[in-house]
Amino acid sequence: MIRAMLLILTLAALPLPAMAHKVIFAVFKSGETIEGELGFSNGDMAPNARIEVFSDTDEVLGEAVTDADGFFLFTPTQPVRHVFKANLGAGHIAETDMSAEDVADILGVAAIASETSAAAAPVTTNTGTVVASLSPEERLAIAEAVRDEIRPLRREIAAYREKNDLQTVLGGIGYIMGLFGLYFYIAARRRMQG
Amino acid sequence: MHIVDGALSNPVVIAGTVLAVGGMAMGLKKLTLERIPATGILAASFFVASLIHVPIGPSSVHLILNGLAGLILGWAAFPALFVGLLLQAVFFGFGGFTVLGVNTLNIAGPAVLAWLIFGPMVERSSPRNGAIWAGIGGAFATATTTLGVAFSLMLTGDEFIPAAKLVFFAHIPIMVIEALLTGAAVYLVRKVRPDLFTAVKEPAE
Repeated sequence: MIRAMLLILTLAALPLPAMAHKVIFAVFKSGETIEGELGFSNGDMAPNARIEVFSDTDEVLGEAVTDADGFFLFTPTQPVRHVFKANLGAGHIAETDMSAEDVADILGVAAIASETSAAAAPVTTNTGTVVASLSPEERLAIAEAVRDEIRPLRREIAAYREKNDLQTVLGGIGYIMGLFGLYFYIAARRRMQG
Repeated sequence: MHIVDGALSNPVVIAGTVLAVGGMAMGLKKLTLERIPATGILAASFFVASLIHVPIGPSSVHLILNGLAGLILGWAAFPALFVGLLLQAVFFGFGGFTVLGVNTLNIAGPAVLAWLIFGPMVERSSPRNGAIWAGIGGAFATATTTLGVAFSLMLTGDEFIPAAKLVFFAHIPIMVIEALLTGAAVYLVRKVRPDLFTAVKEPAE
């Protein structure tokens, strides 16, 4: 039994870089469109995958196809909840959604943005004038640049969330041992009584 | 290898659950006092083995070790693998709760099949030949699991042949590793503790 345990322990010590084979699917606001990414939790992205978009009432709103990096863009037309569905085959499916408020925000983004800049400009001094002097094109360019900058970060957070710690693995083994120990105890009691 | 929540239609999920519950009942009936520690250890090794990912091309696959569990445990592989799958779903989000039955069936079913087909040969032959048979059993269990996964997907609507090919070919390296590992483990057990097989295998039916 000791040797068997040693064998198990050596096996258990091997898998340090352990990752779940899960699908990561996320959508977020990106200017006047919805941007999304699709990939696996091991860091592989899913290129050329078809994504179907539905409303709350299962009405088809459209579809999108991911680019080489697993990103896709979808321009909403109705301020309703958008449900995104992807099927990567072999049982890998994923679903995510964007709330009606967020979609409405995207659709009304031009109006809201101009109001805030108009309101902010007179109040603030130096920096305020800089913001106000930016043309809408420049704002979009800055927003685009910021999104590009935080994209790897976002991906890293998603990957980190999927990471399996050694602690979790050991905890799982502990649970298994405990469960079987409990069952052993019950079985043994039953035998003692019988 | 783990089918996720929502990938299968309801009838498939329900049928899989019913069959898995049947297997569990059978397994628990055969799970005598003497077998419980071995069952626990194999459940733990299955739990851990599924975390060893082997990168294959654009994807990655992981060990299953269901052949080994089946050969040593027989029907008791059902509760052992179920517990492993349950905890994987809880801790890592592998698979999901509604598809637990289907996943248990797809992984423990081939384990029991491997035991029924190759178990007697492993027991009868010398340790060396037994190891070879065990290796074949290990590869067989993995192969059958991939077919089970493809079959479940087919019942839901995927085309069987492409799905089966995809899962099956991705797992060929895993089958080789499983065969070697199962063979080696059985050889070791036969050499070191030959009574593990008899003690665990021969309780009053």
